[in-house]
Order: sequence, then structure tokens, then C-alpha cells
Amino acid sequence: MDLVIALSPLLAVGFGGLMLMLAEAFGKPSEEGISKTTGDVVDAGAGRGAELGLGASVVLIAGAVMAVGVWIVGPETLEGVADVAPYLLIDRFSLFFTFVLCLGGAFTALLGGGYLPEHRIDRSEFFPLVLFSTFGAIALAMSGDLLSLFVGLETMSLGVYCLIGLRRGSARATEAALKYFLLGSFAAALTLFGAALLYGATGHTDLVGIGEAVATIGQPDSTVAAMPVLLALALTLAGLGFKVAAVPFHQWTPDAYEGAPTPATAFMAAVVKTAAFAILLRVLLVGFGEERLMSWGTGWPPVIATLAVLSMTVGNVVAGRQESVKRMLAYSSIAHAGVALVGVAATIRSTEDATASVLFYLLVYTVSTAGAFGALILCGSRGAEAVSYEDLAGIAKRHPAAALAFSLFLLSLAGFPPTAGFFGKLYVFQSAIDSELYVLVIIGLVNSLIGAYYYVRVMVYMYMREPVPGAPVAKPMSSGMVTSAIVLAALLVLGLGILPGVSLDMAIAAAARGG
Amino acid sequence: MFDLYLPMFLMFAIAAGVAAGMFSLGQFVGKNPQSAEKLTPFECGNDTEGAGNVRLSVKFYLTAILFVVFDIEVVFIYPWAALFKGLGWVGFASMLMFVVALLVALVYCWKKGALEWEK
Repeated sequence: MDLVIALSPLLAVGFGGLMLMLAEAFGKPSEEGISKTTGDVVDAGAGRGAELGLGASVVLIAGAVMAVGVWIVGPETLEGVADVAPYLLIDRFSLFFTFVLCLGGAFTALLGGGYLPEHRIDRSEFFPLVLFSTFGAIALAMSGDLLSLFVGLETMSLGVYCLIGLRRGSARATEAALKYFLLGSFAAALTLFGAALLYGATGHTDLVGIGEAVATIGQPDSTVAAMPVLLALALTLAGLGFKVAAVPFHQWTPDAYEGAPTPATAFMAAVVKTAAFAILLRVLLVGFGEERLMSWGTGWPPVIATLAVLSMTVGNVVAGRQESVKRMLAYSSIAHAGVALVGVAATIRSTEDATASVLFYLLVYTVSTAGAFGALILCGSRGAEAVSYEDLAGIAKRHPAAALAFSLFLLSLAGFPPTAGFFGKLYVFQSAIDSELYVLVIIGLVNSLIGAYYYVRVMVYMYMREPVPGAPVAKPMSSGMVTSAIVLAALLVLGLGILPGVSLDMAIAAAARGG
Repeated sequence: MFDLYLPMFLMFAIAAGVAAGMFSLGQFVGKNPQSAEKLTPFECGNDTEGAGNVRLSVKFYLTAILFVVFDIEVVFIYPWAALFKGLGWVGFASMLMFVVALLVALVYCWKKGALEWEK
């Protein structure tokens, strides 16, 4: 019984997904809406995006609430938890991520409920797939074993491949889905190759066992060879680098983000990235957390630091040159992965503080980026989707609320006080200073300035430009679900910005248990 | 290490030698020169017709992938059945969840018409 309570967020999301699948198959297609909302597809459950989206978001919010519940009960007090270890580790680290992932999934479901009917791609598969992908993401964040890591990774990714290709008739979407699928499978293969090497070298698949075996390297009676372990580390880092979209593993990101329906883009930016960071932290700190591997001269920190510098710099510089706002947000998500990697690199000295700063940053980033994509959705409607900067010109006059919300999320992404993004960046750089990574901090601050340029540019277009006469302009849509997602995200962005204490304490508690 | 793999290397070498020997034997002993007719891919039988890349209905793919899904289900059920007593109620509950999940998937496929060949 303990086990059921401990696993309740995961079970709720999985069971909810099954129920939604049945509801979709047995439900009646909406009578009047079909031709208006689905284009050519007439299918059971078609044209029911609003209902299914609401259902999915309720399930995911219930999952988040259950994660909070287990947190309050305390996963340490539940005895059944040991039965599923090390395949699923239910500690405060996992629960924190479960909460963030469920939140990101709920945003996606709400945005999808508004976006899909509006753009006539109201295919009801979207919502069960979001639930199953979130299920995989939670399993990935909980996994403490290479086997469950891989199963979680694939469960999460398979759903996302389909989400990207939802707009079947569009060549762009097909290209995006195929690109993400091929590169994603390649990355998964690299991860698997690394896992196989690790098992061969250490004889363990659980991360704790691997960590203990790796610690014996160099001792006279050790049977563990150093070379395969290092190679496995490199392969694992490359595989997870693809998922978090760190430079130089980022090539798929702009195309996949642009071709996907915008709620699916939000899902990739928020949920997939957060889950990949969860397992990256767990693998590095538990599997490769040995002293020599965690030191600057002989281990992974310089690799992570290089990835961080490259991701921040390339992400920000290229983002500034984009003409499409969606592509700009894609590159900005690469830059944000770089900032979070600074936090990961900072775990070398002040391990717990740095881990906590990454957790807090990911929470803040999930909320801000989901909100930004939500605002972008709200600014467009069928046939007049907001894509480029020009589309957004003068939108503040036509739809002041959408422009205001968009500005709030952009300010948070740029890291202006008093939004949440400011504190997220502050804590990451603070922990990097504590670890004496001054160069990283300076590069990060310079990049924040570059980033401010293109975030502010959107606001300039929204508030100070008038649309060119005769040019197509984005017409804002009206959807209660998108609006409610944006309001929720805006409240969180402001709440986390004004009162960061509570959630930061939770992140610190999570880091203390998990790291 | 080398001792362990030596028999395998030997086997590869002999296999390669036998294959190469057979082919070269045919080359030396057989009649030369070859006629153009003799060099066609299908010397006997019907002439080939149509393109090589015929488009097949997606139904084949659907049927194949569904077969794989339920085939894998059986792959999981066999070892579970062999160890049924040892795994106890926990094992039963785990397998029940797995089978129910796949059952829902089957119902879904059925309802969506994936099992209908003619439509």
C-alpha cells in the first residue's frame, strides 16, 4: 500500500492516459465542429480537443498534487519504496521533478485544448500522447538504473515524435518529426552504447553500484578499467546532450521546434528538457560522482563547462539573428540549457547548493517558457498565426492582455527582476561563484545581456511598431483554456519572483536527498 | 585472451577459404567465355516485370506492428508463467497491470478500425 501511495503520481498519469485513450476511442465526434476543427480527419473523438485537453490537464494537475502529497508525507517514511529501488527511486529529488514535469504537461494539455481546434488539427491522439510522454518523463526522472533510464527515455521520446508530426499534411511538420526521430534515435543509441560499456566495465546497471565500482578505479585490486568508463561517460553525455539540446548537439532543435504544433514545442522545451536534466544530474552525481571524476582536472566538469559556454553563446547569438519568434524561442531554449549546465558544472564544490539552483532554475524555466509559447499561441489564430516579429507588430493595441503576458514571460526568460527568471539565474550564478567558476559566470552574464536584446526586440515590435500596411498580421484567438494556462503561468512567474523562498527551500531539500 | 578466440578466427579463415575456393574453382573449371544471356540475373524462369519499389498499403505495416506488440506481450508472459509461484501476488499484480494496459490498447485499435482489412 505504501508503494501505491509513493507511486501515485506516476500511476495517476499512466492510468489517466489509458482512460483518455478509451474516452477518445468511444467518444462521439463533435457534431458541428468536425469540418471546422479537424480539416479532413473524421475520426472518433475528433473535434473534442477542448474536452480531452481539459481532462488531460486535470489528470496532470492531480499528478502534481499527488507529488506534493507524497512530499508532505515524506518518501522516507514509506517502506514500500525500497521494493522498486533502484529501478524507480522515490525521493524528494524525484518528487520535485515529478511536480515540475506534471506542471509542464498540464500547460501543454491546456494549450493544446485551445490551439488544436483553432488550427483545424483537432486530432484527439494528442492528449493521451501528452500523458504517456509525461509518464515516461516522470519515470526517467525517477530512474536510478540504466535499464529503467532507457525505458523511460524511450517512452518519453516516442510520444513526442508523434506530437511533432501531428499536422500530417504539412511538409514542415513531417520534416521536423523525421529529423527529431532520426537524431533522437541516434542519441538513444549512443546512450545505450554508453550503458552497455558501463555494464561491461563495472558489472552493474544501477547507478549506485556503478558509482561504487568506478570509485575503485586505480586501486591495486580493482577489476574496473578506466578507459571504457570514460568512453561510456562521453557517450552518455552526448546522448543526454541531444535531449537537453546543448550545443553541439542542438542542430535538430530549431527545425523541430518550428515545425511542431506550438503546444508540442512547449512540451519539448519544458518537459523533455527538464526530464533530461533530472537524469543528467542523477547520472553525473550518483554514477560518476566519485572525487576524481568530479574534479576539474580529471573528470567531467570541464566537458560540462564547455557545453555550457557553447550552448549559451551559440544559442544567444543565433537567437538574435532569427526572423521567426518561434525559432528565436527555440534558440533561447538552447541558451537556457547552457545556463542550467553552468549550475551542473558548479556541483563540483558546493554540490547541494548547485543542484538546488539547477532544480529551481528548471522550475522557473518550465513556467516561463510554457507561458511564452502560450502567449505566442494566444497572439495568433487560424490562417493568421503569429510567427515572425512582423506578425506581432502593434499587437499591444489590438490585444493588450496578450502582449502584457508575453512581455512578462519574455522578461522572465531574459532574467529581469522581479520575475522568477531573475532569481533562477541569480542562484545558478551564485552557486557557480561559490565553486569559483568565475569565467563561467562572466560569460553567463555577458550572454544574459545579449539575450536581453532579442527578448526586448519582441516587446519593441509589440508596443512600438505599427504593422506594415497590407502585410498579414496575426489575429489573436480567444480560448479560455489558453488564457487560463497563461494566467496560471503568469501567477507562478510573479509568485516565484516575489517569494522565491518556499520553492527554493523545497529545491534545497530535494537536492539534499537526491544528490 | 588470444587462445580463447583462436578457434573462432580459424573457423572464419577456413570458411572464407572454402568460399573463395568454390568460386575460383567455378571460374577456372567452367566454360568461358560467358554469353550475354548467361549473365542475366534470372537466366531461367519468368522475366521480371514492374518497378522494384511498389507502394504497399499501410495496412501491412499496421498489422505487422500490432503483431510485434502482442508477440512481445507473450515473450514477457512466458517467463512470468514459469516463475509464477515464486513471484507471488506482487508478480501477479504487475503482470495484471501490464496485460490490462495492452488490453486497453487492443480495444483502442479495434475501435479505431486498425484490425479491419477491408473498409
